[in-house]
Amino acid sequence: MSIEIPKTLDDLPNSSPRWVGRGVPRVEDPHLVTGRTEFIDNVVLPGMLHAAILRSPIAHARIRSVDTSQAEKLAGVFAVVTGEDAKRWSLPSPTMPEEWGTHCMATDKVRYVGEPVAAVAAVNRYVAEDAIELIAVDYEPLEPVADAVKAVGPDGPLVMEEKGTNVMLQRVFTWGEVDEAFADADRVFTEKFRWHRLGANPMETFGVIAQWDPVDESLTLRASVQSALHFGLGRAAVLGLASNKVRVIPHPHGGSFGGKGGTRGCDVAALLTRKAGGRPVKWIEDRSEYLTGGGSQSWDRHYEVSLAVKNDGRVTGLHVKLLDDMGATGEAFGAVNTVKPLACFTGPYAIPVARYDLTLVATNKLPQSPYRGMGPPPHNYVLEQMMDIAARGLDMDLAEIRRVNFIPKGAFPYTIPSGNEYDSGDYEAVLDKALELADYPALRDQQAAARAEGRCVGIGVVSAIEPGVFDWNAYAVVGAQGTGVPEGATVSIDVLGKITIRVGFAMEGQGQYTLATQLVADYFCVGFEDIKVVVLDTHSAPPAFGPGGSRLGVALTGAVLGACERLKAKLVKVAAGLFQMDASQVDLVDGNLVAKDVPGVEMPMAAVAGTMLGRSDLLPPGVDPRPEATYVWTAPGRTEADEQGRAKTYLTAAQAVHVVMVELDEETGLVEILEYCVVDDCGTRLNPATVEGQTEGSIAQGIGAALLEEYVYDDQAQILTSSFMDYLLPTVNEVPAMKKGIVVTPSPFTPLGAKGCGEGAMHTTPAAVLSAINDALLPLGVRANEVPASPNRLWTLIHDAKPQAAGEGPR
Amino acid sequence: MTTQQTISVTVNGTTHEALVDPRTTLADFLRGELALTGTHVGCEHGVCGACTVLLEGRSVRSCLMLAVQADGTSLTTVEGMEEDGNLHPIQLAFVEEHGLQCGFCTPGFLMTVRELLENSPDPSDEEIRDALGGQICRCTGYQSILRSVKLAAAKLQGAPLAGTTESP
Ligand code: FES
Ligand code: FES
Repeated sequence: MSIEIPKTLDDLPNSSPRWVGRGVPRVEDPHLVTGRTEFIDNVVLPGMLHAAILRSPIAHARIRSVDTSQAEKLAGVFAVVTGEDAKRWSLPSPTMPEEWGTHCMATDKVRYVGEPVAAVAAVNRYVAEDAIELIAVDYEPLEPVADAVKAVGPDGPLVMEEKGTNVMLQRVFTWGEVDEAFADADRVFTEKFRWHRLGANPMETFGVIAQWDPVDESLTLRASVQSALHFGLGRAAVLGLASNKVRVIPHPHGGSFGGKGGTRGCDVAALLTRKAGGRPVKWIEDRSEYLTGGGSQSWDRHYEVSLAVKNDGRVTGLHVKLLDDMGATGEAFGAVNTVKPLACFTGPYAIPVARYDLTLVATNKLPQSPYRGMGPPPHNYVLEQMMDIAARGLDMDLAEIRRVNFIPKGAFPYTIPSGNEYDSGDYEAVLDKALELADYPALRDQQAAARAEGRCVGIGVVSAIEPGVFDWNAYAVVGAQGTGVPEGATVSIDVLGKITIRVGFAMEGQGQYTLATQLVADYFCVGFEDIKVVVLDTHSAPPAFGPGGSRLGVALTGAVLGACERLKAKLVKVAAGLFQMDASQVDLVDGNLVAKDVPGVEMPMAAVAGTMLGRSDLLPPGVDPRPEATYVWTAPGRTEADEQGRAKTYLTAAQAVHVVMVELDEETGLVEILEYCVVDDCGTRLNPATVEGQTEGSIAQGIGAALLEEYVYDDQAQILTSSFMDYLLPTVNEVPAMKKGIVVTPSPFTPLGAKGCGEGAMHTTPAAVLSAINDALLPLGVRANEVPASPNRLWTLIHDAKPQAAGEGPR
Repeated sequence: MTTQQTISVTVNGTTHEALVDPRTTLADFLRGELALTGTHVGCEHGVCGACTVLLEGRSVRSCLMLAVQADGTSLTTVEGMEEDGNLHPIQLAFVEEHGLQCGFCTPGFLMTVRELLENSPDPSDEEIRDALGGQICRCTGYQSILRSVKLAAAKLQGAPLAGTTESP
C-alpha cells in the first residue's frame, strides 16, 4: 500500500494543528524531575550480581599469566572471567577497517591503559571490587607508541605485530582536477593544525544488566544504549550468538552524544552471567572507567590543509591531509569519524574540487568512539581557519570571504565534490541575519577601542554545515555496509480510543517522545493525555536505529506520520463499510471519519476503532480488525557510494553562522567569551523549544572542545586525565548567554520540511571560538593552531610572541 | 571486613533504621538500601553534583559521604520535593523552561536550587551562577536552567505561573 507522507503542516488531516511547530512542554519531563525515570542503575533483578572489571594499568605489555585463585575464594564472588573465557565464548570485535579488533578482555597482550583483563561478578559492587584487587597479573612491559607520527614511521612499536604496520588505512580521495586548481590559483595558503582527543562524557555512564539463558543459549541485555538494534547485532556477532538470540531492552539514558560506548563492558558482563549459570549481572561503568576505557575519546588529529584561492577571494580548491590516531583498535567507529566529513567536505562553499589524503594509525591509546558531529567538527574548524587565513592574505573581511564563496540560494539541490547533495538553504540570509544580530560593525568598533586600551580582543565569523539524517553509505569507504537506515514506529488505537505509539529507541534527552506525541496529537486531533509512547525491545520493535547522526527528528517524523497514514487508510475502509460507501468517499478530518459529500454522516475515530475491536458483526468482510499500523521510514533517493566515496549520503544540510567575540587575558591565557551570536537554518522547527535546547547544549559542548577538553597521554601512553578534576567540562560559568536567530528553509526532501539538528552547533562553535582567538592574537603575530586553546597553550603562545611584539627583536 | 553499624536517618520525613557497612557511601545507601533512585551518580568523585542531596537543609554530595556519617540526620532527596502529589514550583519551572534534556543531572540541580532559593528568594544572576557552579549538565548548555531558576524564584514568590513554553 503506497502512502503519501505529509510534506507540510497543511497536509495533516487537521484544520488547526496545535502541537507541531510549538515549543510545548515535554512528555518526558514529569518522570525526570521527580527522579522516577528508570535509568539502568535503578533496576534490580532477583538474584542479580554486580560486576567489576580489572583493567590494564600499562599501555603495552605481554600478559604472562593471570592468577584469579584468590579472587575466586573470596566470599560473595560468583564468577571470575579472563581472556581465556573471552577466547572460549567470544570473537574479536568486528572493526572498520576490517580485522583491527581484539577480544573484550586481553588475551595475549594489553594494548592500552584501561583495557579489560579480568572481571568478577559478586553479591555487590564493593565485594566485586575487593575481588579484582586479589587478581594477580604478570605483565611483561613492551615499548608503547603514544604518538601518531611515530606510529606511522618505520621505528614505531607495533600495536598488532601480526599486521606488520600500525597503518590501518591510507587513502587519497580526489574529487575533480585538484592539481590544476592549485596550479591556476592566484594564491595558495597552507597551514598545519592539531586537534587533541576529547569526547562525549554524558552525565550517565554506560550500564547494562546481562542475563544468560542456558536453556536456549540466549542473552537478554537491559542497557543504556543509543541504538538497541544495532548494539544487539554487534553483541551477537562478538558473542557468536544468533542475531535473534540477543534481546536488548533499551533503557532511558542520561545522554549519549554518540559516546555511550559500553560494548566491551557489556560483552564482559555477558561472559560473567554465562559463567554464573545465568544469574543476571549488572555492570555500571564508573566515571574513571568511562574516561580511560569507555566510549569517551574521539578525534585525535594532525592536519595539513591547503586552499587554492583567486585574488577576488573565490576558493577554487581544497586539499586536506589528515593523520588520525585511532588508538589501539578499530572497534568503535573511529574510522567513521574520519570519513563523515565527505558529507560536508567543502562546507557551505562552492569550492569545485577537493582532495582528502587520509591516514589512520594505531597507537597504544583507547580506541576512538563517535562523538556529537562524528568527525566534521575538527574538519570544519580547519576549513574555517583556512578561510580566515585566506581572508587576511587577501585583505578581505571574514564575513565577505564567506559570502563570496557561499553556494548560492538558487543552486540547490547542490552536489558537492565529495558526492553528497545538499537539499536547500539560503546561506547569505543566515549570514546577514547573524551580522545584524551581532551588530558586527559595532563589535569591530568595540574591538578597536579595546585594542587601543591594550586589550586582546578578537572576533570570529564562521559558517558550517550540519549534515542531517545519516546513512551507512556515507561510510562505505571504510567498510560500512548498506544504504538507508530504517526507522519504524507503530501507532495503535485501543478499544476505548486511546493511542499508543511504539518505538524502538529509549529516550536520551532530545525530546523525541514529545515529538512523536505532537505528531500523533495533531494527526488525529487529540490531546497529549490521550497518547502514550512506549519503547519496545529488539524482539518486538520495528526496525529502528534511534538517535544518531542528526537523524531521529526527521526519521521519526517519517515513521510516525507514515504509520498514521496507514492507520487512517484502515479506519477509512471500515468507516466506508459502516457508511455503506466507497472508501474514496470517506476521509479523516479533525479526528472524525466523515462522508465527504454527505454532511452529518461522520463517526469519531475512536468509535471506528472501537467497532473494529468490539463489533466484528458490523465489519466489512475481509477487513483487518486491528486499528494499528506500522511504518518503516528510510531516506528517499540515497545512492550507492562509488569508489571515491561519492554518494547521496546525508539527506539534509542545515547551515549556521556564528559570530563570537572573545577577550584573552595575557597574564593567564584564559579566554572570556564576550559575545555569542548564532543564526541557524535547520528547516521547519517541529518543536522550537527542543531545537533551541540542542543549539544551546551543543554550543556549550563546542566551547568545551575549543577551550577545555582534552585527554592527555604521556609518552608512555599513560592517561593523565582519569577524573573530572583533570578532564574539564564546561560549567555554567564557562558558557555565556547567547543571542539566537533563525532562518527557515524547509527541506524539500523530508516530512514537514525539518532538517537534522541534533548535533547542532558542535559543527560550528569550535571553529568560531578559535577564529575569534586568532583574531585577538593577530597583533601579536601568532596563531593558535591547536585545539583546545587551553590557558597553558595560549599563555605560552603569547609569551613566546611578546618579545617580538614588544619590539625586543627576534630571539 | 569491618563490622556493620546501625544507623538511623530521616529521609523525606520517614525515619529509617538500617544496618550498613561502614564503607557504604550515602549515595549507595539511598539508592540501594532505601531504593530512592532519584539521586543519581555521575562521577563518584565529587565533581559533577548529580548526587546532591540536602542534609539538614544544606546541599551535600552523597557520593563523598558515608552513610554512617549521616547517622542521626535528616535528609531531603528529589523524591521529597513533591507536595501532595503536585510538582514543587522548582520542578514545574524546570519543566516549563525546558531546564532539562536527559534529566540525569536534574535531581542534583533541583536540590541545589532549592537550597539557593531558601536562602536567597530573589537571587541575582551572579548568585545563581555561583550556586550552580558545582553542578555539571552536559546536555542543556545551562541557559534553560538559568531561566528555570528565575522562573522558580518568581513562582515561589507568588508571581503568575507561566514559563516560556507554549501551550497549545
Ligand atoms: S556523583 Fe557525586 S559529585 Fe558526581
Ligand atoms: S540534562 Fe542531561 S546532563 Fe543535564
